[in-house]
Amino acid sequence: MTGTKLIMTFPVTATSHLLSEYRARGGYATLEKALRQMRPDEITKAVTASGILGHGGAAFPAGRKWGVIKLNDGQPHYLCANADEGEPGTFKDRWILENAPHLLLESMLISAYALQVRNAFVYIRGEFDLPYRRLAAAVEEAYEAGYFGERILGTDFSCDIVIYRGAGSYVCGEASALITSIEGRKGYPRNRPPRLTVRGLYQRPTVINNIETLANVAIIVARGAEEFRKVGTAKSPGTQLVSISGHVEKPGVYEVEYGSSLSEFIYSECGGVLGGGKLKCIVPGGISTKVLTAAEIGSLKFDHVSMVAAGSQVGSGGMVVIAEGTCMVRLLQVLLRFYHHESCGQCTPCREGMGWMHRIIDRIVAGQGQPGDIDQLIRISKANDGTTICGMGDAAGYATVGILAKYRDEFEYFVEHKRSRHEGRLEVAGHA
Amino acid sequence: MLEFFINGQSVQAEDNQTVMQAAKANGFYIPYFCWHPQLSVPGNCRICMVEVEAEGGGWLDIACNMPVTKGMRVLTDSEKVRTRRKETLQFITLNHPVDCGICDKAGECTLQDYHFEYNGSPSVSRDAKVHATKHYPLSERIVLDNERCIMCTRCVRFTREISKTNSLGVQNRADHSLIRPVEDGRFENDPYSDNVIDICPVGALLSRQFLHKARVWYLKPTPSVCPGCERGCSVNIWHRKTEWKLNALDARQNACIDRVTPLENPAVNGPWICNKGRDLALIFERARAEQAMHKGKPIDLRPAIANARALIAGAKRPVALVSSWGSNEELAAFQAALGERFACYVKTDWLPAPGEVLEDGLLIKSDKNPNGAAARARFPALPADARSAFPPDTDLVLIWGEGFSFAQLPSKAKIVYLNSYLQPENGHADVFLPISVQTERRGHYTNFQGTVSAFEACFAKKDGIADAEALFAALAAPAGKASS
Repeated sequence: MTGTKLIMTFPVTATSHLLSEYRARGGYATLEKALRQMRPDEITKAVTASGILGHGGAAFPAGRKWGVIKLNDGQPHYLCANADEGEPGTFKDRWILENAPHLLLESMLISAYALQVRNAFVYIRGEFDLPYRRLAAAVEEAYEAGYFGERILGTDFSCDIVIYRGAGSYVCGEASALITSIEGRKGYPRNRPPRLTVRGLYQRPTVINNIETLANVAIIVARGAEEFRKVGTAKSPGTQLVSISGHVEKPGVYEVEYGSSLSEFIYSECGGVLGGGKLKCIVPGGISTKVLTAAEIGSLKFDHVSMVAAGSQVGSGGMVVIAEGTCMVRLLQVLLRFYHHESCGQCTPCREGMGWMHRIIDRIVAGQGQPGDIDQLIRISKANDGTTICGMGDAAGYATVGILAKYRDEFEYFVEHKRSRHEGRLEVAGHA
Repeated sequence: MLEFFINGQSVQAEDNQTVMQAAKANGFYIPYFCWHPQLSVPGNCRICMVEVEAEGGGWLDIACNMPVTKGMRVLTDSEKVRTRRKETLQFITLNHPVDCGICDKAGECTLQDYHFEYNGSPSVSRDAKVHATKHYPLSERIVLDNERCIMCTRCVRFTREISKTNSLGVQNRADHSLIRPVEDGRFENDPYSDNVIDICPVGALLSRQFLHKARVWYLKPTPSVCPGCERGCSVNIWHRKTEWKLNALDARQNACIDRVTPLENPAVNGPWICNKGRDLALIFERARAEQAMHKGKPIDLRPAIANARALIAGAKRPVALVSSWGSNEELAAFQAALGERFACYVKTDWLPAPGEVLEDGLLIKSDKNPNGAAARARFPALPADARSAFPPDTDLVLIWGEGFSFAQLPSKAKIVYLNSYLQPENGHADVFLPISVQTERRGHYTNFQGTVSAFEACFAKKDGIADAEALFAALAAPAGKASS
């Protein structure tokens, strides 16, 4: 229904994540092909030609990131897989880590070969338990099978991998905070310049890619860039894993080809709103992306260009379905509590602004809102736009401004009447 | 070198400079809290935001981390920049208590200055401020007010990059972030810890010595030199301005050292000094000798000088022990007046105290005397076995300065003793002459590298105390021509 599948191509069983089954599906053949038949720069060229955009949320072209790394520049390079999937509503990388860890490892090996990386890292979210155990077991299996270590598959290429578990910080999913955390320091993001591909982990050129982006590398190399581009749209090649949750009949992880119809995905494939309710809006790709109302979804296509044109983003693919009757004030309160809790506290606008917004929304929800509070929220959001070290301040601002732009009347109602327009707990019919 | 533009004016910059450095070098002021010329660039305060003009828009970014490029056009005072600054200051003061009225930093506080210069409006927040620890005991010397802290992390970076004790860090996240010492108490033993008080742009880090002692605008900094070791760091000695003299309370408050801060001197100490330098009051404000004595009995200074002069004139084999705390001027005066008359040796007035840091790679040197090198350039050092310096027929010893036990002297020798402090030896000398201390006169010290630094007088010396420089000439003068 939602087009070609690239990653979720096999039925998930109790053993489908194991090396034996991955090999039976043709796994690690691409690694052989890459190591024996391709030069490193050919792989980078293929990734660039595939036009794949980063799947972590920012949609930065992966090939352009890789292109900054100069091979044979006489210094070590590092590769980090960003498995610190913390954007609320997002759990798609978790599917890969749990069900296709070897796809990730094979892709990382190919990427490491392409970027001349001797030591690769996986920074995995501390709260991920099963994903960590699955990945750690997969690494063990891969080492035993000779896919990691010295002289892999009898070639000159050697690579080791370290899994680094985070300690529970959202900001550590930001690339520079991630490497700072790997270095053993407090996960504070770093100022650019220098870019991480120039000076990253341990002050060396470092490529940090999202799990899903990396997982696609083996697929791109196996298929060839041209074949890969046949999936998706011209500007958004490939597929997107979407983790859908909230008031939806069939929550879970789905693979959606770029260019698919968004409403078809939500209403048909995911079964629509829970209990046959009416859709109010969706958070399209992680809470930092702006909400889209039911009307805006209309005939919208799910790809980067269309989503940006509609005033939002594909983001991290963490879709949250919000049914009619949901109080947007209390929803924003949840978001702002999250941002306040997760602000690393390094730079001024975010450190002070997140707490400030949280206190204002708490006050509104407590029935102590005052005229001007809503404008204050917008003002603080704008003062965070582009003024912080990392993107978190901006993200919180986008989420706030996005909701306020579309549901300002609900906030004004709350401030004026000291109560929500949608009182009480939302009951969704037909479900216990 | 490359050319770029600040506010439309052409400016020259080094190739690898940041906009902040280039602006500073060319006399343009960009405000900053977290940036410090000697520390790494965290770019966390966001107050140094400047606008870069470019075709199709332009952008704002922090000047401290922005490399200059050829032809770049930077605006430091555009409408956008002013708005950002104002917003940033609103953020910074959001949870800051603004208790300038009871804050030691008031008057020299960067936040106060910037608020006055760039913001000026009252808080736009209606919500209660976030509360944090008020008097956190960071060490025996420093208390931390976390509410005033603006999280610039200068103190953290200082202990990582300059004093290298890695003794401070940041705890918690968001607006609950707190500066905290590491758990093993390393900060307590950081010999440079007090520098964090100076580099703190607000009144978060407070000296216990100076806590609520004086408003800084009642104080005057007098440039001086720390005598704590042969590094001779340039310092400012802060004391009460004469026009703000206290008439009630203890009169001694008008002539005491209120605090000591570094005086930036790239040739010697940069912008830092060690904690010993902060404690000059412990050296100079010991009980002072103010009374000349003859064999332990008080006499006036003038007859005491005459007695000493007579002893010197009559001595056949006199030996002098020269102070390594004398200024260059005093040493020259001594050599000119008495250098020929005496067999002279330089004595080590101060030895390292038990537990004191002997020497490190930053500032502290093992010779704990300020002018030993200059003294030894004129006279030989006293041998390790001091007795060997005195021939058996020594009949007079002139001792200048403290730190020499009379037990080492030949028993028959007469003693002329010049000292500033009240010590038991004073009464055992045949003639005792009280002399001024460094804070009561001006002069120069030459440090171990040969760098000469000047110090100025902070206080007037009391009547009845001699200035060594003038005293030496009086001691050498033929009988009858003496003057004190």
